[in-house]
Amino acid sequence: MGTDNVRIDDLSNLSAGVAPALAEGLWTSFWAGDRRACARLISKVENEPNAIPAIREHLAGKLGHAIRIGVTGPPGVGTSTLCSAIALGLADRQHRVGVIAVDPSSPFTGGAFMGDRVRMDKFVGDDRIFMRSLASREGRGGLSPSTPSVADVIEAFGMDRILIETVGVGQAELDVMNTADLVVLVLQPITGDAIQSMKAGIIEAADLIVVNKSDLPGADTVLQSLRFVYSLGSAKSGKAPPLLAVSAQQTEGIEELVDTIEQLSTSIVQSGRHQELRQMRLVEEIKSGIVDELWQRYLRQSDAERVIEEAAKQLVASGGSAYKFVREMCSKIQLTVDPKANA
Amino acid sequence: MSGSPIKVVVGKPGLDGHDRGAKVVARTLVEAGMEVVYLGLRQTPESIVAAALEEDADVIGLSVLSGAHMTHFKRVRALMEEKGLGDRLLTGGGIIPTKDQETLAALGVGRLFGPGDDPDAIVDYIRDWVREHPREDAV
Repeated sequence: MGTDNVRIDDLSNLSAGVAPALAEGLWTSFWAGDRRACARLISKVENEPNAIPAIREHLAGKLGHAIRIGVTGPPGVGTSTLCSAIALGLADRQHRVGVIAVDPSSPFTGGAFMGDRVRMDKFVGDDRIFMRSLASREGRGGLSPSTPSVADVIEAFGMDRILIETVGVGQAELDVMNTADLVVLVLQPITGDAIQSMKAGIIEAADLIVVNKSDLPGADTVLQSLRFVYSLGSAKSGKAPPLLAVSAQQTEGIEELVDTIEQLSTSIVQSGRHQELRQMRLVEEIKSGIVDELWQRYLRQSDAERVIEEAAKQLVASGGSAYKFVREMCSKIQLTVDPKANA
Repeated sequence: MSGSPIKVVVGKPGLDGHDRGAKVVARTLVEAGMEVVYLGLRQTPESIVAAALEEDADVIGLSVLSGAHMTHFKRVRALMEEKGLGDRLLTGGGIIPTKDQETLAALGVGRLFGPGDDPDAIVDYIRDWVREHPREDAV
């Protein structure tokens, strides 16, 4: 089988790439509130990308109400300890809380050391909170590729506030911006002067900035430089995000922080921003879903994988253009869309 | 699910502050490509099993150097059965006499390791066990 004139507009095999249906028992247990079934479903989503479309179809009617709160910051600033405090604070305000904590996978071995539970041991066994550690796997933007789907599973399980803690980030790991409704950026004293705060990237994505470890010297300097930078304006919303000083370990400022998160949550729901964000994410999901589906169909009907390998080998030897090869390959694909389909 | 990493929860139950062994083993498992959820010190059997449940862990590894291994391993194993995690591996290490290891094995506890054991033997043991005990989807 070659790559000549491959047709990928055949709709007859739409679901051929989807993994076998889950055992009925798993869904029954999941809807009955069995935490083990929730945990198992999360593993499915993490480990079997092919199963995600079928799983998300099951979840579809149960989504759209939870507020997803990203918590991000450089390594070691205390995001885990802070997430623990926020989760408890939200649970005390009658919310059911999901916590997703992402830690980095080794690019060398694929293994991951996940230590978030060391800081999050205050709510183990607390039915109001469901916590899950995720290894970042192929994700390079602060989250694992499955994080949005994991959040869907946890929301459908009945959680209405979902904290998503990223890996320790540098300046430009922005996955969280496209996954969460609100972004909480956590910083600490002695974190750099105003020049650091003026750089583009994560600092612009924050809806709320928290200076943690405010019991340590230097907190005022950080607050001052952040206030200065935001007085110049904010690219995201035009106005400066709230700026709070807390100490997660000393539990200082936590009540105010949780109250602020609640206010921001209410305001994005009331302003319609929450639905707008959800709509934006769905657009991206549909786009990437189409790309995946077409790519899978293409692979099924050709031995493209081998042809691409072969081409790359020749390009290395000949110094030719990869894009010329892409154009040639694409010219052999007939992609026709039924004009009535978009009517 | 042969392609996905093995997930291991590692913790130290009880009042036992010697965590170097647990950290060395955790690091060894990570370097072997496993995903390790490290719980740290002063865990209870309840907190360890609750964490393993939410994490959907394949394996629970306990480190016990306090002499209380009979109590902790027995209790964790019993809780695993109670919470529906009986199909997962409970293993671990510490200063655990052979006689006690045999008693625990009869209760469904897996192999236990001690000083002088090759860390790679732990990796091989876990890999083999997981391969031989595929998990079923139905809950």
